[in-house]
Parts: sequence; structure tokens; C-alpha cells
Amino acid sequence: MKISKKIIDNLKKGGVDFYLSVPCKLLANMIDILENDKDVYYSAVPREEEGMGICAGAYLGNKFPCIMMQNTGIGNSVNAIVSLLQLYQMPVVFLISYRGTPGEPVGAQGGMAKITEDILQTLRIPMLHCSSEKELDKISTFSKHAKVVESPVAILCDFNLMKDDK
Amino acid sequence: MNRFDLLNKVQNILKDNLVICNIGLPSQELYKISDQPNFFYMLGSMGLSSSIGLGLSLSQNKHVISIDGDGSVLMNMNTLATIGNRAPSNYTLLIIDNGSYGSTGDQRTFTDEKTSLKDVALGAGCKNVIECSGEETVNELNKAIDDKDNSYVIISKINSGNVKIDPIPLNPITIRDRFRKFIGKVKYL
Repeated sequence: MKISKKIIDNLKKGGVDFYLSVPCKLLANMIDILENDKDVYYSAVPREEEGMGICAGAYLGNKFPCIMMQNTGIGNSVNAIVSLLQLYQMPVVFLISYRGTPGEPVGAQGGMAKITEDILQTLRIPMLHCSSEKELDKISTFSKHAKVVESPVAILCDFNLMKDDK
Repeated sequence: MNRFDLLNKVQNILKDNLVICNIGLPSQELYKISDQPNFFYMLGSMGLSSSIGLGLSLSQNKHVISIDGDGSVLMNMNTLATIGNRAPSNYTLLIIDNGSYGSTGDQRTFTDEKTSLKDVALGAGCKNVIECSGEETVNELNKAIDDKDNSYVIISKINSGNVKIDPIPLNPITIRDRFRKFIGKVKYL
């Protein structure tokens, strides 16, 4: 719970006040925290691409949105990222559980893991890769950066960082 | 009645609300009929008009109308479940259902065969789902906006067919900024 709490605290410190998720077991603690947080909006959504649209609308309504998802969700969302969030220069934080990184027990997750950073790089999305607890301190500044550069940004949280966060 | 006729009929209602308008011909036709700062024209991301409007209605209090099409809703049907469970009362989804992919040459969609978007929306958890003719749409839209306790999905069944039209000459940042200024959240411009 300590890691998850630190991530949410830092996102809130960075101004994020609207959260969506397509669940992942590595995000489960954060979802619990957000479901009990009366200061911010939280909802699950069925699909990441749709979540990009909801985040775009939330930004137009002056919220600062975050969508939490597995890295597989980036694959589901490329056109929405490029032709909506980037076309209209909308700041949205992607909080990504980085499935398929070392510690991952499910071999099939390795495929998307191999190309996740390449996709984000191709999309020119700024990345913050968190593999240890101390990197989580950068999340609030990194989130604010999304607003300054008017762009989606991606925070990648490694499997091993999240797996023991009981 | 085709989409252009319908948009002409509802333009006075749209003027008083926040509007998210679907990519392609729907946005181009609306722009030609009456360009307003409170109209957000989609220049990409087919399928997401319903979702953008939902996010907007959850974030501020003004009434939001998402103008969507049957082809676009078929592309993002999962969002009907999100709308059924989460849409606030300041949200109306107007699906202009002409049974065809209008912007790409009027190929038939599945709503012109077996699929009923009304049944899909009801099954997804949307409570107030109205299927009506183009002529009835003005009245149904007014009722939906006047009801301060419920969100609505209105499926307006019209004929296919388009008017000859040019792309929207506005750049995306202009569309974004004047829209956000209209809501009153940003001071610049």
C-alpha cells in the first residue's frame, strides 16, 4: 500500500483531480485508494481508447485527468492519443503498470513490454520510468510538466516495484 | 430528412449548449450551418464523440450534447456501458442514425441490417433511450435538456445523404481554446 499511496499522493500534488482506470492487479491498491477519496473523481472504464476520449472531455472542462492502465492499453489507444490528445494539445497523465518487465510471471505479457517504450518514443510522449521507490518522488513535477508542455505524458511502473505493495 | 436537414432543425438548441460534434461531414455540415465557439469539432479520433462529451459533462455543470453517428457508436459501443453507469443529468447523446458511413461514401452500417442501437443502449444500462424520427428530434432534445434529473440517449432515425462541403478551416488549438474560453475556465484569448 505504501508505494500505491505514494504514487497517488504525488499525482494529487501535481494537480491531477480526475482518474480513470482499466484495471490491472498491480493497480488494485491505487483503485482502492481512489474509490475512497472524496476529493477527486474516479471511475473504471471498459477500454483505454474510450478513456482517452473521456480524459479529453475532462480537460476541456478544466480538470487535469489521469488514466491508469496496463501498457497493453497504449496499443489500444494510439489513434486517440495522436488525433485527439496530441492534435488538440491536451495534458493527460498515463499511469502505466509495466506488465512483462522482470518479475512478470505471465510470459505472454512480454510481447507488448518489448515495444511499449518504442511506441511511446515514436509518439514523442515524455516518459518517467519508475523502477524503484525513490523515482516516485519525481511524479508530481513530471505531472505538472504535462500541463506546461500541453501534452500527454507516461509514467511506467515496473512489475517488481508494484508486486509486493501489500 | 438527411443529416444536414436535421442539423439545421436543431441548430437553435445546440447554440445554447456545449456541443461535441463527430468527425467528418457532421462537423463540416454543422460548421457551415452555424459556427459557434461552444461547438467542439472533432478532427480525428472517430468513435469518441460520446466519450469526450461524457468527460466534459462530468467535469462542469453546463449541459453537454454529444452528436454522434451510428457508424461511430458501433466503433465504440463499450462507452454506452460507461454512459449507462456514469452519465450525469447534464449529458445527452444524440446519435444521428442514417444507417450508413456518411463521410466515407455512404456504405451501409449494421444499423441498416439487424442491429438496434436502442436495444444496445438499454442493455448497456442507459435508462432514458429515445428512438425517434428526424422531425421529432427537436422536441425530444428539448425534453432531455429540460429534465434536470436524467441523462438521455436519443437515436434520430434519418435518411442517408450528404451535401457537398469543404473541410473545416479552423486549426485544432483555435477550436480548443475558444471552447474552453466559452466555458469560462480559461482567461487568455
